[in-house]
Amino acid sequence: MVTNEQLSYRAIRYIYYSAIVWLLVGMTVGLILSIKYVWPDFLVIGPLQKYLQYGRIRPVHTNSVILGWLTMAYVAGLFYVIPKLTRAPLAHPRLALIVGYLWNIFNGLGGLTLIGGYTTAIEYAEYLWPIDLVFFGLFACVMFICFRTISNRREKQLYVSLWYFMGSLIWFPLLFIIGNIPNGMIGGIPQALAAWFYGHNVIGLWITTVGVGFTYYLLPKLSKNPLYSHKLSLIGFWTIATFYVWNGPHHLQNGPVPSWLMKAGVIPSVLLIIPVWSVLANVFGTMKGKWQLVSHDVSLKFLITGMIFYLITCVQGPFQSLMGPSSVLKFTNWVVGHAHMPLFGAFSSVVFALIYHGFKDFAGREIYSKKLMDMHYWFSVIGFLVFAFSTWTQGVLQGFAWAEGKQYGIQFVEVMQALRPFSIFRSAGGFLMFAGQVVFAYNIYRSAKDGIPVEKKDQQTA
Amino acid sequence: MSQPRESITTPFIIGAIVLFTTGAIATVLLPFFEDTMKRPNANAEIRNYAADSPEYRGRQIYIREGCHTCHTQFVRPTKGDMNLGPVSVPQDYYYDSPVMQGTVRTGADLMWVGRRTSPAWHKAHLKNPRDVLPGSIMPSYNYLTEQETDDLIAYLMSLKPAPSTAGTGAPSAPIPTREREGDTNR
Repeated sequence: MVTNEQLSYRAIRYIYYSAIVWLLVGMTVGLILSIKYVWPDFLVIGPLQKYLQYGRIRPVHTNSVILGWLTMAYVAGLFYVIPKLTRAPLAHPRLALIVGYLWNIFNGLGGLTLIGGYTTAIEYAEYLWPIDLVFFGLFACVMFICFRTISNRREKQLYVSLWYFMGSLIWFPLLFIIGNIPNGMIGGIPQALAAWFYGHNVIGLWITTVGVGFTYYLLPKLSKNPLYSHKLSLIGFWTIATFYVWNGPHHLQNGPVPSWLMKAGVIPSVLLIIPVWSVLANVFGTMKGKWQLVSHDVSLKFLITGMIFYLITCVQGPFQSLMGPSSVLKFTNWVVGHAHMPLFGAFSSVVFALIYHGFKDFAGREIYSKKLMDMHYWFSVIGFLVFAFSTWTQGVLQGFAWAEGKQYGIQFVEVMQALRPFSIFRSAGGFLMFAGQVVFAYNIYRSAKDGIPVEKKDQQTA
Repeated sequence: MSQPRESITTPFIIGAIVLFTTGAIATVLLPFFEDTMKRPNANAEIRNYAADSPEYRGRQIYIREGCHTCHTQFVRPTKGDMNLGPVSVPQDYYYDSPVMQGTVRTGADLMWVGRRTSPAWHKAHLKNPRDVLPGSIMPSYNYLTEQETDDLIAYLMSLKPAPSTAGTGAPSAPIPTREREGDTNR
């Protein structure tokens, strides 16, 4: 008979592997985009010119990595971690698998419509409303499965991670509705505000909060130390819930919004240092005396690296949201580098840690090659740093060149040309990041096929 | 693992919803009631395109091809925007749905592009940007049909300030001289 555990692990495997495919798809598109900065005529061949045109595939990149890769991996992660923390079996594992199937169809449909030129034109919410409805239905199933599992819990205490998961599961669908109000019903600056409410908080109240929940789960497991401070994690949860929602308006800094709104957006952005620091203090506190483990354990290496990038993100973000820095950095490639940090540098790293850590469980096999894991780590981190520093440098150059008056026409193009060497580095960094993920996908594929089965090993040692 | 004391889910669920709603009301709902958001100005009226006018169809092409992924329509009262024309106000966007503000300036800002360019310039530029602006990284839009190109140009040329507001640029903006300089460069 098939047990509940087998069924749920099957769903988790399917969703994780699909997410990895979307990671490769999204990053391939990202790489094409970055090469178009260097050679604008790259892949301008026959019909590809139209269907791989920059403006059409740019949202394919963002949606594939946010809704395809990270969100799917998060859902699989939730299905894996929640039963561990509640000591209850995953509710409705068959439904979980169906969600996985349909999620792939949803993302595929979304990507194809975008390439076809059907878009709402609202950043990060580009899918048309019928596709949004599919997503909404799928997410409702995810919520149902997760909350059912939590309410069936056998563990009386609610572990820190579960607060974060519950919050995020409630916030994300609400956010999604606000961000995806159909175009006919809303327009102008109120629409821009609604769109940024979604665009910013999908990172803040979904990607960040679920990722922090995973971190709180993984940290004691990997370091074999108890969590440093329960109180800090409480402070962290309630402050992030209080401040993050207010961040949308800082995307219209110096723009056509009333000044009270700008302040309402910027002050909470700066206060975000409290939840960030509470998480980081907990990470450092928990790691006390166990730092030597980082060099042996790739999962832990990814986790700690992710947390450091999370800290940098949340120091950089408030800085660039201030009026002065924003007047230079807004609209430049700096922001592009910043946007990649939480999504790739920080929380993709957490997911890598979670997949490597849980693989023994949900796939029943050891990871095929530790060497490839290390390669994945170094390619990702070095690639990301090269990528990020080239975009940040570009951003500063752009911002100051525009302030000198080079704002359109041939002068603007001269600035563009001056950025070219950095665009080459940016592509090179992107290529390394991508190569790292190919190594990752290959390693997972080989592990699933040829990894040493865990049970067998247990019997041998017994 | 340290044992947390909390064991009921209700406070977390209620707290999460209340805090979320507060932020959403303040940053999304309240702005709807701002005076500046509630009425259009003369600039907005120029952008209130009749359905199926060339400008309207051109705007659909602008959206379809994702022009907004590289071009902003967003002029700030900052040094970096001082030559671009009048500073954007909420009223300008009254009829703009979906809003075309954009987020990245891989290409130049287009808020008032109609003021500094001509249809002939756009025609050549869209066919091959590098013929007009050597070194540009903008894609060629030579795959658009003649009709689509003309519609798109009609839209771009409509992006100009109304005569009544044309003079109200950023305080330090030397617009007329820059304009001429820009023209000779092109």
